[in-house]
Order: sequence, then structure tokens, then C-alpha cells
Amino acid sequence: MRLWHILQSRLRSIVFHRRRESDLSEELQLHLDRETERLHATGLSREAARLQARRLFGGLEQIKEASRDARGTAAWDAIVRDTRHGLRRLVRDWRFTTAAVLILGIAIGATAAIFSVVNAVLFRKEAFADPDRLVNIYQNDPAGKPMIVTSYAAFMEMAEYEDIFASTMASSIPNPVRYLQDGAVKSAVAEFATASYLDVLGLRPSRGRWFGATEERSGAPIVAVLGHQAWTRLFHSDPSVLGRVIRMEGVAVTIIGIGPASHRGTLEVGLGTDFWLPITAVPAILGDLVPRDAPTIFAPLLVKARLRERVTVPQAQAAMDVLGRRLAAEHPEQFRNRGEFALGPGITVIPSADVRIHPQADVPFMALASLVLVIVGLVLAIACSNLATLLLVRGAARAMEVSVRLAMGATRRQLVRHLLTESLLLSLAGGIAGCLLAWWAMRALQAIELPFRVDLSLDYRVLAFAIALSLVTGVAFGLVPAFKATKIDLLPTLRDEGLQPIDHRRLTLKNALIVVQVAVSVLLLGGTSIFLQATASARALRVGYAVDGVAMLETDWRFAGYSESAARTANDNLRRRIEAIPGVEAAALMRGLPMASTGMSIVADSATGQQGSEVETAMLEAGPGFFDTLRIPLLYGRVFDARDRADSPRVAVITEAMARKYFGAVDAVGRRFRLQADPNSWTEVIGVVRDTGTRAFEDDILDPIRPTYYRSFTQSGAQATTVVARTSRDAASLVAAMQHELRAVDVTLPVITAKTMAQALAESQAAPAVAATFLAILAGLGLVLASIGLYAVVAFAVARRSREIGIRMALGARSQQVVTSIARGVAALIGVGTGIGLFFVVLLMLVLRASTGSADIGIGNLSVYRPTIDPLALLAIAAVTALVGVAAAFVPARRAARMHPLAALRHE
Amino acid sequence: MSDQTDVLQGTLDLLILRTIALEAMHGWAIAQRIQQISDDLLRVQQGSLYPALHRLEHQGWITAEWGASDNNRRARFYSLTKAGRKQVEAEVAKWERLSAGVNLVLKRT
Repeated sequence: MRLWHILQSRLRSIVFHRRRESDLSEELQLHLDRETERLHATGLSREAARLQARRLFGGLEQIKEASRDARGTAAWDAIVRDTRHGLRRLVRDWRFTTAAVLILGIAIGATAAIFSVVNAVLFRKEAFADPDRLVNIYQNDPAGKPMIVTSYAAFMEMAEYEDIFASTMASSIPNPVRYLQDGAVKSAVAEFATASYLDVLGLRPSRGRWFGATEERSGAPIVAVLGHQAWTRLFHSDPSVLGRVIRMEGVAVTIIGIGPASHRGTLEVGLGTDFWLPITAVPAILGDLVPRDAPTIFAPLLVKARLRERVTVPQAQAAMDVLGRRLAAEHPEQFRNRGEFALGPGITVIPSADVRIHPQADVPFMALASLVLVIVGLVLAIACSNLATLLLVRGAARAMEVSVRLAMGATRRQLVRHLLTESLLLSLAGGIAGCLLAWWAMRALQAIELPFRVDLSLDYRVLAFAIALSLVTGVAFGLVPAFKATKIDLLPTLRDEGLQPIDHRRLTLKNALIVVQVAVSVLLLGGTSIFLQATASARALRVGYAVDGVAMLETDWRFAGYSESAARTANDNLRRRIEAIPGVEAAALMRGLPMASTGMSIVADSATGQQGSEVETAMLEAGPGFFDTLRIPLLYGRVFDARDRADSPRVAVITEAMARKYFGAVDAVGRRFRLQADPNSWTEVIGVVRDTGTRAFEDDILDPIRPTYYRSFTQSGAQATTVVARTSRDAASLVAAMQHELRAVDVTLPVITAKTMAQALAESQAAPAVAATFLAILAGLGLVLASIGLYAVVAFAVARRSREIGIRMALGARSQQVVTSIARGVAALIGVGTGIGLFFVVLLMLVLRASTGSADIGIGNLSVYRPTIDPLALLAIAAVTALVGVAAAFVPARRAARMHPLAALRHE
Repeated sequence: MSDQTDVLQGTLDLLILRTIALEAMHGWAIAQRIQQISDDLLRVQQGSLYPALHRLEHQGWITAEWGASDNNRRARFYSLTKAGRKQVEAEVAKWERLSAGVNLVLKRT
């Protein structure tokens, strides 16, 4: 009861602070007035009575203070007072405040955003039950290193070792699939797994069930388990999804369960797997996308097993060594392959806890992750150092104020409390700015399409960490001047005799940090320029085919349940209908899009008739009329026509680049090549066409010189179809007309792509532009940080040297000379930083130019682009950096120059 | 005036509580009343009354309300709360024990 009362009283006094103050004044005034009247009535003059009343009363302010204290709200009042005072100071020094808040905001925002992304992609690792007994098993490559893939046959043999493994499971790496939902084709990620998958991991489905042994048999109706994430995201947590039949790649699939909420899939990367299907569903779902390299490998598999009790990893390894040797002896044909899927006889057993993604990928992956974390740390360190400099500058500038206040009787505690409040306010503002920036950055990142989907939610622990760190920095460096200032012997400072020597060491460290910041900004600007160059060269590229008036419509007959032969007939029907649209000059069938070729390994015959070695090409599938529709000129031989049927010998039309590169002559008609994966796939070259700009799936940047061949669409699966058509009229209205015709053929057919060639080209070129924008933003932030750092350092130097400046000016130096002397130092910092930055930019460009092919782990597709070293761009980068740096240094330098000599001498 | 005694530390609370036990009063009136009742023997340093009043209010023994004083100015009138009444009894008992003890000591020495 009493506690409640005290609480209420305190709350009331806090909330009604202002009214309480006036009440107190009024109450005391009443007393004084009454006492004055009483004394006046006893015969004193009014004035004497008033004085006597005051005397009897005692010190008014002390009584007020004591009354406030009696309520126990004095501390709160002090906080309110200090906060108000602090806010006033921060508003008055708005330049300093803006700079500090910007620094803190960038540091906190960038750190939290970058770390959230890295964490989402790399570090979140799932905890399984009894993890010590879970192992990963890999077949090795000829060099004895674990491979990405393990063959299904080998997995079956591994599973036989029941005395070693309590249970064994295999799952494919995630595969992109398309499925039909509400009449629209959607993309998803599917994994093909064994029935034992969840048992080995020690998990349970959150709803429904996992597929069993009967559903795993070849030919059984296909079932699927929905990932928990996909269930909430794609199906809005609808429980009735169990038992629903969906069409995936045209195949009917029944959903029977929903996966564990905690489990993201085999690789535990990104958002994880949307569908799990039985491993035997691979041929039905993936169809001819499955590599046909070796008869036993039909999907890259990852194998995990649970060791039996009392079985150790070395024991399991020994058993697998035996198996590896036996497999090599029994199936020598599997080990004869070369290239990407070359097998070696060894098998590796590694505890699952020691593997993040794959033993071979982990090192570069972790290196990348560490690099990112180092960068994050560097950003934080630089930001904190800049903030510290700023606060030191301010502290130095305030030494006088502090001395005066001490002389006026302020206690040291009051001063410290004061400066502390100010620092906290600053950190708070910075924290808010950081949260806003991080939030904005995450929204911007979510808009970028990544090769795999990532749970891009802000990591609040990291945000809290960054805020805490900046808070500590703010408070620590906000207080250093406070303690320093309050320790100053009063008299010398007031007389301004304390000429402190410049701390050379600290200044040097600060200078080094500034140089690093400038260099990093330049490097980021350089990266931006590389991507801008890539964008520009992609735009400027001779596409090599008609763009104006060309429209495309992509569908897939499998989604409407068409067989291959039915699809062929329907295709012809669709093509005739589109040709009949008024204005259409030509139309042809193809698979996929003209700018989306598939990478293929082929073996070309050599001029002497012998077999050459394996080479890389890009492949497109085109039907009769294709080259006419896209106006691609034929150089030699013929193009596809009615002679090329599904049962006739395989034929191909190749590009000039491929003819020259792999057949040694532009006229390669009559020459032959085969797929590396299939010895029976000899294909005859029937024609050579001019090069076009084709884009491979794995590259994001147009590579015009990529050797490409066209396979006959009539000789491949006809179900996935694109109709390209050229009109003399508007391409956009042709898109609509084509969709109309598609619906007329079969209303249930999905539209996968419907756009003009101009749109498709723009989209295929979007990636480098996005990268350029992203880097430009980073470079901008870097420049802001660097310029604030420069500002702080110059301001620091000016504050420290104001006495020297004063003396110089008193001795007749002109303000210009003062500015020049400061500018010299600034120019040196910017010059060195820019120089180092440009050196690394050129180095990066040279490395990129020297690199061959794309990197194995698809980190940066930058590696497929070979930039030219453009001196003008480098000059522009240097100019921008110098301009920003000089502008940042100008403000404090001008203040120094405008300083009145007397003021400069007297003041510090 | 020299035969006046300053109010003993700690007894001011008791005096205030006793004074306003009969009717609600404002600060100046309380000071006057204490002086009158003690036949001008006790002197309250007038200002020190207010911190005491605010402390007692904060502790919940007295409560304050704005009302019109006799010359029609706004004044804060203090009155006892229920807890305050109990506190008066406790304080009186304490004082009596203390003064009895002091008297005993004085008589026996």
C-alpha cells in the first residue's frame, strides 16, 4: 500500500515535473507573503518586514532543493536538466552532431546488415540429435579429394555396410524446379532424397509424414514433402495442403507431409529446400537435364550416415577404403571418365560436424566469410576511430568552457555527468540512424535476385552488438576529454599557458586510418567502374539478331499433361496460328530464350579424322525458321528444315566462332562432334551462322565470343517450347496476341515467359547494373566515412595548432598561407590514399583480365568479365576522391584562416 | 527571543503531524500554530518546514490539497492520511518513551 503510494507520488512528480516546480514556488511565496504581512502588522515597515521574513525563512533555493530531494526525484530532475542542456549543445554544434550521427549510423547500419547476410548464408548451422555419430561420406576424385557427387550405385553399396552404419541416407543437392500453383508457373528448390533421410538426421516431419520404402520404388506415384519454410511462405501455412496434387515440371505430385520447422535442407544454405521428393523421382521430374555422364550417376548425391554404437570414424573410413577399392575393381568403366565427374577409387568419411557445405568448398567459403567479417570489423574500427577523433577535437575545443565552469563552482561529478549525457544522446541518435540504415539496406538487398534465396531478416543480436560498441566508443571517448579537462590545473589553462606538445604517435595512427579509408573508397569506386564498364559493353554489344518487332512466348506442354508426340503436333498448330497473326513476318520454335544458352562439353573431330579433346561450348535448341525470324545470316551450308526429324541423324548449325575455334575453318559443314557425356551422340554440322551474343546460364554478362551451336529443336524434347516471332508492327501488342493464341490452343497451358526481345535483353543485362549500383552505394558510404575522418583530423590539427596559427598570423602570415600549410598535409593524405587505392584497382583489373573462365564457386560473376584499364575512369575516380576530401578539409581549415590572431593566441 | 529553543532534529515531524491532526492547514499556518501552542518556547526555522512537509507527503502520512486560504489566495492545505494517524500515535509513544528516559536520567544525576 505504502510502496504503491510512494511509487505514485514519484510517478506523479516525474510526469508533472513542470507543474510541481511552479507549485513549490507558489507555496513558498505564499508563506513569505503571509509572514511579511504578519511582521508588517507588528509595526515594521513593509520593506523591513519583507527582509525579516526572508531572513526567518532561510535560503529560498536551498529550501526548494531540499524539498525536491525530499520527494526523491532530484536525480531524475538532474537527468532531465542534463538531457535538455545536452540537446541544446548538440543542436548548436550541428556540424559535429551530423558528422558523428552519420558515422555511427553507417557503422551500425553497415555492420548489422552485412553480418546479417553473411550469417544467413554461411553460419547458421543446424544442431542434430547425437551429432557425434553423424558422418558425411564422399566418393573421391582421382586426386583423392572428396567430390561434389557420389553415385547412386556407390550409395547403395555404402548402405550395405549395416554393421558400420545404423542408417544411411542420400539426398541430391538442391535443384531448381517449376510447379504450377493457381494457374501460374512458380520456381522452387527441390531435393531428391531417400526414405531414410529424416531418420538419419534424427528429425520428424512437423505435419503429415515422410515418404516410405514403397513410395521410393521406381514407378510409384510421386509424392513430396513440403519444406516448412515453403509451407508458410508459398502455401500460407494452409493445413489442407496435405493430400493436394500439384503439377511439378508437368508431373502430378501429391503432397504428403511438411518438413521439420528447424530443418532447411542438406546444405543448410539460404532459405532452404521447398520440396523433398523420393530419389527415384529424378528421371520423371528432371528429365533430360540430368547429366548422362555415367550410367550410374543420375544426380549429384550427398551421403550422410549414422554410425552404430561403438563404431569410430576411423573404423568407418577403413570399411569405406575397402569398398572404394572393390568398386574400382568391379566397375572400371565408371572410373574412366575425365572432366568434371571423374571418379577416383577412394571414399572419404568425415564427421558431419566438421563440414559446413562441402569439404572442398568450405575453405574458400569460410575464407570469403572471414574476409567479409574482417571488412565489417574494419568498417566498425574506422568508424569508431573517426568518432573518437571527432570527440577529441570537441574535447580540446571545450577545455576552456570546462575550466570556466569548474572555476564557477561546478563539481567534477556534475561535469562528467554532463558530458556523459551528451555522449549517450549522440550514441542514441547514431543508433537510431544505424537501425534505419540497416533496415533500408535489408530492404534494398531483398530486392536483388540472388542465385539462391536467403532469409534476409535483420539479425537483431548483431544490431544490438553494433549499437553497444558504438555506445561504448561514444561514452569512452566522450569521457576522456571530460576527465582530462577536469584534471587540468585551473590557472594555466585559464591563462592559456598550457601549450601541449602534439601527440605525434596518435596523429600518425589517425593519418594511417585516413589513408586506409581513402584507399578503400577508391577501390570501391574502381569496382563500381568495372561493373559500369561491363554494363556499358553489354549494352554496346552487337547482339547479332533482330530485336525490333521480335516477341517471345514460352510455355511447357508438360504442365498441361501433353506427351512428347502430342506436344509436337500442338507446337505446329501454335506456330501456324501465330504466323497467321496480322503483321507477323516469321515465327519459329525453340527451347528457352535466345540469350539463355546451356553450357555443354563436347568432343570435336579433328581435321585428321581423329578424336580431339574435350572443349566447352554453349548450346541452344532451334526449330525451322529460327534464323530467318531472328535475321541471323547463314554463312555456309543450310539451316534446319523438314528433313531434320526426330528419327533422322543428329544435325547442328554452329556459329562462326565455334567453327573457327574448334574446326579450324569457318566452313565446317560436314564436320562432326559429340557430347563429352555420350559417346553415341555424333552430330553433323549442316550449317554455319554468324555469331550472336548469347548468355550462358551461369554467367551474368554477355560473352559474345562464346562458341555456340544450335541443336535441332525437332530432334529434342518438344514439351518445353518458346515461340519467337517477328512482326512489322508493334512487338508489345504481338506479345498480347501470341498469348491469346496460346489460350486458344489450350486454356490450361501456363505462360512462363511473354515479353519482347527488347525487354528480355534489358533484363539479361540487369545484373552488372545492379552490382554497379550496389558498389556505388558502398563507395558513397565509404567516401562519407573517409571525408568525416578527414574533417575530424584536420579539425583536430587546427585545434591543436591554433596557437601556432595565431603566432604566425600575428607575425604577418596571411590567411592564405595558413590554409596552404594545412592543405599540404591534407593533400598528402588524400594523395597517398588515392595512390594506394588506384594501385589495387589496377591490380584487380589485371587479375580479372588474366583470369580464365568463371570461378568454381560462383561468388562473383565479375570473373567472367575482363575489364579494359581505362585511364579516364581512373582519373575520374581520383578527381572525385580528391574533391570530396578537400571539401571535407575545407571547413575547419577556413575556420583556422579566419581566426583573429588575438583570439587564436588567447584561446588555447 | 533568546529563551526560544530550536526544534530538535526528528521532532519536527511529530509536531507537524500533531498540529494538522485537528484540521487541514497550510505551511505558514502550521509554523504559526507550532509557535503559538508551544507558548513561543519553540522556534521552527520556517523554511525547514517545507522539506519536512514534502517528505511526509512523499511517505504517504500526509496529503496535500490546493484550497483557498483565509485571504483568498491559493494555498496547499495539508491533512493527515489514515497511515498518518497511526504514525502520530507511534511517534507520540516514541517521544514519550524518549522524554521519560531523558527525565529519568536528569533526575538521577
